[in-house]
Amino acid sequence: MSSAQLEIQLIASLVAIACAIPGTFLVLRKMAMISDAISHSILPGIVIGFFITQDLNSPVLILLAALTGIITVVLVEYIQKTGLVKEDTAIGLVFPALFSIGVILIAKNANDIHLDVDAVLLGELAFAPFDRLLVSGVDLGPKSLWIIGTILLITITLLIAFFKELKVSTFDAGLASALGFSPMVIHYGLMTVSSVTTVGAFDAVGAILVVALMIAPAASAYLITNNLKRMLAYAICFGVISAVSGYWLAHWLDASIAGSITSVLGILFLTIYLFAPNKGIIAILYREKQQRTEVSLLTFLLHLKNHTDETERHVNHLNEHINWQKVRSKTVLDLALKNNMIRIENKIVSLTEKGNDFTTQAIDYIITNEDSQIEGMKDDFFLFRG
Amino acid sequence: MKNKIAVQVDDLTVAYNYKPVLWDIDLEIPEGVLMAIVGPNGAGKSTLIKSILGILKPIAGSVAIYGKPYDKQRSLVAYVPQKGSVDWDFPTTALDVVMMGTYGSLGWIKRPGQKEKKAALEALEKVGMLSFKNRQISQLSGGQQQRIFLARALVQNASIYFMDEPFQGVDATTEIAIINILKELRKAGKTVIVVHHDLQTVPEYFDWVTFLNVKKIATGPVKDIFNDDNLTKTYGINYKVVVSD
Repeated sequence: MSSAQLEIQLIASLVAIACAIPGTFLVLRKMAMISDAISHSILPGIVIGFFITQDLNSPVLILLAALTGIITVVLVEYIQKTGLVKEDTAIGLVFPALFSIGVILIAKNANDIHLDVDAVLLGELAFAPFDRLLVSGVDLGPKSLWIIGTILLITITLLIAFFKELKVSTFDAGLASALGFSPMVIHYGLMTVSSVTTVGAFDAVGAILVVALMIAPAASAYLITNNLKRMLAYAICFGVISAVSGYWLAHWLDASIAGSITSVLGILFLTIYLFAPNKGIIAILYREKQQRTEVSLLTFLLHLKNHTDETERHVNHLNEHINWQKVRSKTVLDLALKNNMIRIENKIVSLTEKGNDFTTQAIDYIITNEDSQIEGMKDDFFLFRG
Repeated sequence: MKNKIAVQVDDLTVAYNYKPVLWDIDLEIPEGVLMAIVGPNGAGKSTLIKSILGILKPIAGSVAIYGKPYDKQRSLVAYVPQKGSVDWDFPTTALDVVMMGTYGSLGWIKRPGQKEKKAALEALEKVGMLSFKNRQISQLSGGQQQRIFLARALVQNASIYFMDEPFQGVDATTEIAIINILKELRKAGKTVIVVHHDLQTVPEYFDWVTFLNVKKIATGPVKDIFNDDNLTKTYGINYKVVVSD
């Protein structure tokens, strides 16, 4: 591995971490689309900043572009507040307008500057190692690495300092306000960090990948944990894994690095979406199937409890009577037998003591809807797990 | 018998998009009462609480908590928002939500430690939810979620408690458990203000009541002012039909 390759992977990983942190809170605040808006509408800020500074890596340019990001958020909120259109419409109105200004500015001055729309949308990570930071002739590494490193350091410091404030205002803005943590300040703080991160990452990975790196790792992490700190940690891991494996995918396919990283992110999300232990599609389908079986079991037990007459409890009669298919009846019968809830003597089914208790408890629960009664049963049965 | 004023509201007017939802409210809430705020939907009950707590900015009027602005008296006040106002799929546990109640006394940046955790566990114990402390909040029933919210307010150890519809969507057992805790708070000399919907239970649960419908209709002891006259003024001419429903 050459040092340029290593540098590219390092930059991509730092960008992924810097994006995953604000991304986690954007996902929890249901504001994923705002990152899309910011990533596009900072373009005029970058172009104007470039006219002024003539340097794509100048801090002034970054601040100016981040300011355009904040303006986007303010405009979206302003339009939304009029009550004439909903938030998604407001976002759809604001960012194309700002983005198009940037596109026109580039087109009008295309001869003078090395900025083109392709590079803006997709970035060019492969070229990042060529632009070095030189201090009195000493090579300190790629400029992008320094920029994103600085932004990441600031982001992590803010995250550690204001973790509790971010958490409470994201979960319950009303409480945060009553406790004296202005949700407004935290909201704009988060928007500023998102904007600065977007600008810092923009040059390396482009407008589209920035959004993917903010949202996909956080959305994937959301599916596999119920703990905010872990969600942040998982999002960071997913981001870094995608960045590094995306780089090697691009290397192998001889394709765009940004495109490959985004593809890996997509595949990663899809995999988790399917296979996540609790919230994944397969887990949900399995649980629903279990619940159907358990409802059947309960129906069956209740039938036995309600009928003392032996003809009502004959194996063959049960088949016709409850009106189930043979296979299903057999599944339910086996399940009841396996759990020692019924016994069968001469093809007459009757409840055991355990089956009787279980049925009484379950019915009590269904009638009173009181959770305390079934705490002990929850581990055995899906049906009662809310 | 009660003379100290816990909450004083003067000429409060609140508007959404220039349409007043609360109009010129004057209200004095004496210390140590358990008060219901009643009124039809859209009467501004939640808005009144949110304005007192500075969550909404009024266009006119002022609020005082024990004689000073809310900003200076935050530590004396606890707030229980409507259960539906938050996303219960948020990745956190019951204990963590209760811990949030301690954030106010910590202030910015400082983190909760063992002392805060101990207080949160005690509050969970008080609402009978200690065994659920590590449960993810979406895995709790509606009644349990409401108890968690109550515990979060208790942990603030405040003098005045504001609660927005704490009985909404909870079962009878939880409702009784909650009202018993509120009555205990009052016994301890705290002031409790509750947005309430079920008129039938007002005389049983509360000793003080405010009728609200954009304007303040009446406020005072339940035994003196909870009558058909005020109910009709607040809910309109069909009040008796509403109740018999």
